[in-house]
Amino acid sequence: MAKAKPITGLNPQDPTGKNARMIAKVRLEDLYSWEHFVDNPYNIVELHNMRIAAKRLRYTFEVFEDVFPVASRPIVKEIVQIQEELGDFHDTDVMIALLRLCLGSYDTATVPETVQLNGNKQHPKEKSLVSSDLIADLVDPAVAPSVEERYGLEHFLQNQEQLRNKQYDAFRQHWYALQARDFKRQVLELLET
Amino acid sequence: MQNQSSPPMRAAIDIGSNTIHLVVARCSPHDLDIVEDQQELVRIGESVTAKGEISQEKANAAIATLKRYKALARNHNANPILVVATEAIRQASNSAAFLEQVLRKTKLTVQLISGTAEAALTFFGSTYEVYKEPHPPTQIGVMDLGGGSLELVTARNMHITWRTSLPIGSGWLHDRYLASNPPTYDEVAVAEAFLQTYFRGLRLRHHPAVLIVTGGSANSLLLLARYAFNLGMQRTQLTQQDLTRCQGLLISLPAEEIAQRFEQPLERARILLAGALIIQTVMSRLHINEISVSSHGIREGVLLAYERYGERWLEIVSQSAEALNHLQRSDGKSEAFITYTPEAEPFAQSGRRLLQERTQKMLEWPEEVLKHEDVEAVHKMRVATRRLRATLDAYQSICDPKSFKKVYRQVKQIADALGAARDTDVMLLNLHAQLEQVKNEEKAGVEWLVEPLQTFREQKQLELESFLQMLDEDDLKKQIDLCIVEGAMSHGKS
Repeated sequence: MAKAKPITGLNPQDPTGKNARMIAKVRLEDLYSWEHFVDNPYNIVELHNMRIAAKRLRYTFEVFEDVFPVASRPIVKEIVQIQEELGDFHDTDVMIALLRLCLGSYDTATVPETVQLNGNKQHPKEKSLVSSDLIADLVDPAVAPSVEERYGLEHFLQNQEQLRNKQYDAFRQHWYALQARDFKRQVLELLET
Repeated sequence: MQNQSSPPMRAAIDIGSNTIHLVVARCSPHDLDIVEDQQELVRIGESVTAKGEISQEKANAAIATLKRYKALARNHNANPILVVATEAIRQASNSAAFLEQVLRKTKLTVQLISGTAEAALTFFGSTYEVYKEPHPPTQIGVMDLGGGSLELVTARNMHITWRTSLPIGSGWLHDRYLASNPPTYDEVAVAEAFLQTYFRGLRLRHHPAVLIVTGGSANSLLLLARYAFNLGMQRTQLTQQDLTRCQGLLISLPAEEIAQRFEQPLERARILLAGALIIQTVMSRLHINEISVSSHGIREGVLLAYERYGERWLEIVSQSAEALNHLQRSDGKSEAFITYTPEAEPFAQSGRRLLQERTQKMLEWPEEVLKHEDVEAVHKMRVATRRLRATLDAYQSICDPKSFKKVYRQVKQIADALGAARDTDVMLLNLHAQLEQVKNEEKAGVEWLVEPLQTFREQKQLELESFLQMLDEDDLKKQIDLCIVEGAMSHGKS
């Protein structure tokens, strides 16, 4: 995801409280701009961007923690949880990509193509899930897995895919629970105080 | 039964962020004869800082203390028992429920007073002895340093001319910046940087000749200095040098040892360094080399106000204090200081402060990372880097674009180097955790994957190591200082 855009309209002499609220509102909108991908579990890049947006909102609250009322703490807790849930299945996505790389590359020798992750064909500017130097290390034919190791990797991949589904479901369930109580409005109301 | 000819016996209790304090005294409008003076360190503010509310554990401790104080006051035939609560209770989201619980369980009505009334009452309490002297100073300043807030008042010829209440106290500063026991030099440096930037907004037109400091931290520091440096038990003054010596002691010894050696409650010993730092910063800002420490404060002020104004004491004190507030707002000349709460602090000023703090925090970690003892050090430094980047992102539009670009690029390089090392750590940690759970048929596959990842990790650690060894910390700090210049302008399009 690209660097956060600078927030416009901030006056250096204005009270920090006023500007901090403006920044938090922009970061909140950034988070919700990814909302329509919540039901698309395999839009890996967009969900990863949603995680970064959640992280930016969380850090905005942390940077200005002295400025926001103590009532913001339960809200920050929810944002942290969303960020962690998105992070959990992102980590599993990385592991799945790695396993597919190992299994696919030794199968077809098409290597990085498969591995640079489906997402990246549509998002050429995004970094791949697995770094290119790690890809190079793992596709070294001199260290190819044996049949037994390969069998183990296949099983492990299946488990990781199941785990990923569970992690995604946990995130989605939590997200909808927050929307049911109109979380965005709660945050905006807090920012109006 | 009370003797009709002697002044009436009254009691006052104040529930503060750190302590609950009782005073029982024979009272007249301008003097007190104190017969009971007790304090209990309950630290209600601790739970408010952590969770935004008063925990049931703290509520129970407070109620137990109030019951004990009520019995003591009744033993002295004190009537009424006046109870006030200050900053921590004001801040707590469940303050109403807490006050209701106190009323139900102790039959004591607690007045939740404003910061304005708190400052005025503290002034009455901590200066009444000075004003009994034949030639009291014309200009006087009073600072009440509590756990969660700091009240500053100036007066001329016994009349308050200016006051402010700041949400910075010794407990707050400790919890926010000085968590280690004893606090580290790096933590102290960050806390000092915060205080210096924060109090830069305190602009003085008239220097008070005398500064009286009251509150638990000031009194405990006086006690510590008396014991540790043989100052004499009658001494009530502390100089900058005394406080510097106290700091040296408090940064060298853990709180447990301070408590034991110098007869301090442990909870007080923990927050004493924070108190010393705040007092010294204010002294420097006001160009004062010596303070008088008063053991009196808000509760004595409550008793004097009750004697002067009767049942409407709080209403009258609050009205006068609010009138002063109005005067301060409407008449620039009467505003002796210009200071800010974190909320009102100008954005450019908070930006300079936060960037310095976040940079300092991040630079606490390279040494730990290079030790290779704890895999979490990389993670913690990465988190500190993210916080610095988030601060840079927040302030980008008021930063000098050239300096910002330079700094941001460097911080991103640090983040990338840490990220490469940490991402591999996370994968390996996950795989090792999986190895303990996976079925036998999967084990061989997972083990195969661990090996090249381990080699890759070592390579990334070496890259990180050489990167951090090349990192010029002083240069980075200088560049950070250049990001937001005095008189900063907005560089973003509006």
